[in-house]
Amino acid sequence: MNGTLARPRPLDTAKALQLIGALFFAYLFFGFMLLPCLNTLTSIFTTRNAAGEVEPFAVIRFFLAGNMAKFVWNSLKLALCLIVTVNVVGISIVLLTEYFDIKGARILRLGYMTTLIYSGVALVTGYMFLYAGDGILTTAIKEVNPDFDPTWFSGFNAVLFTMTFACTSNHALFLRNAIRGIDYNTVEAARNMGAKPFKVLFQVVFPTLLPTLFSLTVMTFITGLCAMSAPTLLGYDSINPEIVRLAGSSVADEAFPQARAALLSIILACFTIVLLTVLSSYERKGHYLSVSKTKAKLQKQKITNPVANVLAHIYAYVLFIIYMTPVVMIVVFSFQTYSAVRMRKLDLSNWTLLNYFGQADYSYLTSRGTYKTRAGSISGVFANEATLGGIQTSFVLSVLAAALACVIVVVACNYIFKHKKTGTVLEYALLFPWLLPTILICYSYRVFFNSDGVWYVFGRNLYYADAVRILMVIAYTVVRLPFSLRMVKAAFYAIDEELEDAARNLGASPVRTFLKVKLPIILPSVLAVFALNFNYLFTEYDMGATFASTYGTTYAMVIQSMTREEGLYGYNINASGRRCASTVFIMLVSGLILYLVYGVGARDLSERLEARARWRRRWEKLSGKAAKETTETPGGKETKAET
Amino acid sequence: MIRLNDIVVKFGDFTALHNINVHVKEGEFFTFLGPSGCGKTTTLRTLTGFIEPVQGSVFVRGKDITHVPIEERNIGIVFQSYALFPTMTVYDNIAFGLKVRKMKKPEIDEKVRTIAKKVDLTDEQLKKAVSQLSGGQQQRVAIARALVTEPAIICLDEPLSNLDAKLRVQLREELKKMQKDFGITSIYVTHDQEEALTLSDRIAVFNKGVIEQIGTPNEVYNHSATEFVCNFIGDINRLSDELVQKLAAGGAEIDPGAHHYIRLERVHVNEPERAGVLTVPGTVSMREYYGLYIKYYIDVGSQTLKVMERNDGVRIYDEGDGVTVGIDPADLMSYPAKGEEGAQ
Repeated sequence: MNGTLARPRPLDTAKALQLIGALFFAYLFFGFMLLPCLNTLTSIFTTRNAAGEVEPFAVIRFFLAGNMAKFVWNSLKLALCLIVTVNVVGISIVLLTEYFDIKGARILRLGYMTTLIYSGVALVTGYMFLYAGDGILTTAIKEVNPDFDPTWFSGFNAVLFTMTFACTSNHALFLRNAIRGIDYNTVEAARNMGAKPFKVLFQVVFPTLLPTLFSLTVMTFITGLCAMSAPTLLGYDSINPEIVRLAGSSVADEAFPQARAALLSIILACFTIVLLTVLSSYERKGHYLSVSKTKAKLQKQKITNPVANVLAHIYAYVLFIIYMTPVVMIVVFSFQTYSAVRMRKLDLSNWTLLNYFGQADYSYLTSRGTYKTRAGSISGVFANEATLGGIQTSFVLSVLAAALACVIVVVACNYIFKHKKTGTVLEYALLFPWLLPTILICYSYRVFFNSDGVWYVFGRNLYYADAVRILMVIAYTVVRLPFSLRMVKAAFYAIDEELEDAARNLGASPVRTFLKVKLPIILPSVLAVFALNFNYLFTEYDMGATFASTYGTTYAMVIQSMTREEGLYGYNINASGRRCASTVFIMLVSGLILYLVYGVGARDLSERLEARARWRRRWEKLSGKAAKETTETPGGKETKAET
Repeated sequence: MIRLNDIVVKFGDFTALHNINVHVKEGEFFTFLGPSGCGKTTTLRTLTGFIEPVQGSVFVRGKDITHVPIEERNIGIVFQSYALFPTMTVYDNIAFGLKVRKMKKPEIDEKVRTIAKKVDLTDEQLKKAVSQLSGGQQQRVAIARALVTEPAIICLDEPLSNLDAKLRVQLREELKKMQKDFGITSIYVTHDQEEALTLSDRIAVFNKGVIEQIGTPNEVYNHSATEFVCNFIGDINRLSDELVQKLAAGGAEIDPGAHHYIRLERVHVNEPERAGVLTVPGTVSMREYYGLYIKYYIDVGSQTLKVMERNDGVRIYDEGDGVTVGIDPADLMSYPAKGEEGAQ
């Protein structure tokens, strides 16, 4: 045997690790997924009346009496309408940029994809900056037409409009990929058989997109149902804002608010479970797969009818304007002075960085006719204490939760791929939060852990004071587990099973095989998941609002509160400007993350080595040049050093 | 060197290997040949330790390694996909096994560079990512990685199956040369009979979890032990009952109840009469031109016989030409009729 040394088998370590893992996942599932939510469910049926007696069906009776059904109906109405509007806009933007030959498609695509770098509160406040009563557009229209109703952008229509454009990100990503995956030969074959372009679109292209469209529709419906930031900011009575309101209410103000919040959460969960069941049973039927061995790249279709072509171009650019105007306005106004921002009028002669950096005092005329100065009342994103605090809180919580979610799913996936039966149980356990609306999880945490009696967290009240941050990290982590699991699991699928065999054959232990062979392969995907998790959590509003704690005021909550406090008693004078700057900051962070994930992170070893070699060549060229100059120029060394 | 004794492998209720017995000699190039799902890879994985048999034992140089963990068997493997670690450079791929063995850096470096030289990998290529190499270079890296730890045996699991035809032939030759240079005992798994015949010292032909025959390429080709082997290796004609009767009537001593086969190159067209050769008249129905050879499809009444003739540039027959087909009964391979397995 050529005298190779035998190494001890790390079987005992592996078994011990498995046991620790099993205990951890059981703790996570039962302690932070099942029990808090079960507590919410049971709280519905343990309502006490004024006499202190338990009335199991009091909330149900309350619901059936119509007092709460309004919120459910409103959410359903929003979700149903969004299915139509989001699909119309989403399919349009994909067809206009990927399928039809529209001039300037690249620019259009950039505009349509802006929702990828800003969403949630940032996006809603951006739209409000434009369309709200004191918005730029409304102010401009009101100047032309004084009878114009300044409150036009509020309630259902405003929420529907905003969410329609905010929710097309998934179409921009997934439908685009689906349409790019179409084999162009099938289009050519249909054309060859005499089909007109639109017949090809409806009879050949659309059927292959249907599975993706179905998934997108279900996801849109769930998004509409669980909408939070838009209804809250634009004033629409839907389920989630009501849950948050009830969660913060007390029995002194209204009848059993907590139980009502719990009931609404459970209703939301029921809808989600039904929809996801429908979706997964549909997905199980399988997607259309191209059977072609040599797939041809889709070529853009010219719209031959000139009228239709012009109309398509007009439609494309109108959509582009709708997408881009808030972005452009926010960027431009983030460099404007507080007076220009408050008046919603561009002052091209006066630009400032005060919304980003530094502070300034503000003097104003009091009712007594004297001037009063508020020191530091004008402050930038990076100088304002509250904003910086929000950024800091969101940053720390997001980094911790994003990293935790990644570590948990990497360990879990490694187990899932090796152990079919128990692995499936673990997988379903980690996908469990997917069935529950975020708001239910957070609300359940808020109620369940707001007590000293939860033994498995050592009897500590996790909703009390700064312990809420721990609770938020756990909530953030749990909420991101299903997404992280699906993404990382897909990465694990990409690992050739023979690689593990090869490593084992070369003598590596299972732990070494995992660390040296498997982990480096999935690392780009794990980092991408980490970045996407961070991106989501950093600007997250729903969970922060549900916890509503002074110790856990997130960045999105700070942004949301900026306008509310603007100019009050001479404080917070440039709140709107700072909000614009905050949105720009979010766009930069998100853009950078997307670049790192899909640009740099997608490179494999050969591309990285090539890039390194390219840099080395450049460096050698530069240093060679420098050396040459040094030798050729008398006294060149000093000159170069100065340069 | 390697001895597999009565190996039985089961996957649930399914028995993948039934009493496999193989004895491979030191330095031999031994091939497991068979169609997909016949058990050849399972046998290889049993030898390498990825599968533990429910019965039987594996011996290497007289030592029972049946229950020895994979990492302690000292058997190198070249995988079908090569299984090169994509996140490591060529150098790191080759050095992996040595690092696992906690060797010192200079020793690792020396071993890696020595083996790289032997398999014709340059220093420049050692720095590259494996994806930057061609298929042939990747194969050399996989071989170098398998050999650098100085294993007692090297197993090659269909290492040429992912390559195009031309490269496959080229690498086949290189592989044979390398095996001879290293003198290492090699177990080769393939479903490609041409590969098996050209590379191997001996071949084990697998079918449905059993070994049908073990022999040299000449033995399995010209003296196939079973009807399956006869059908699986190379192209062949199974004679129809009518033709068998014709041959028997012509004086051949053949059992009319058995299945009779003859290789294409053993049938001759318009051959001058010679003792023992029986002729039947026929018509050329189709011709395939291969350059060195020409393949004729000749109707002889009850069946179409395939004939492979050397292309001498003179005797070339066109479709529709009347010819005589000569068959020497001594060239027939006959098997008792057990069923219709492998009938052509």
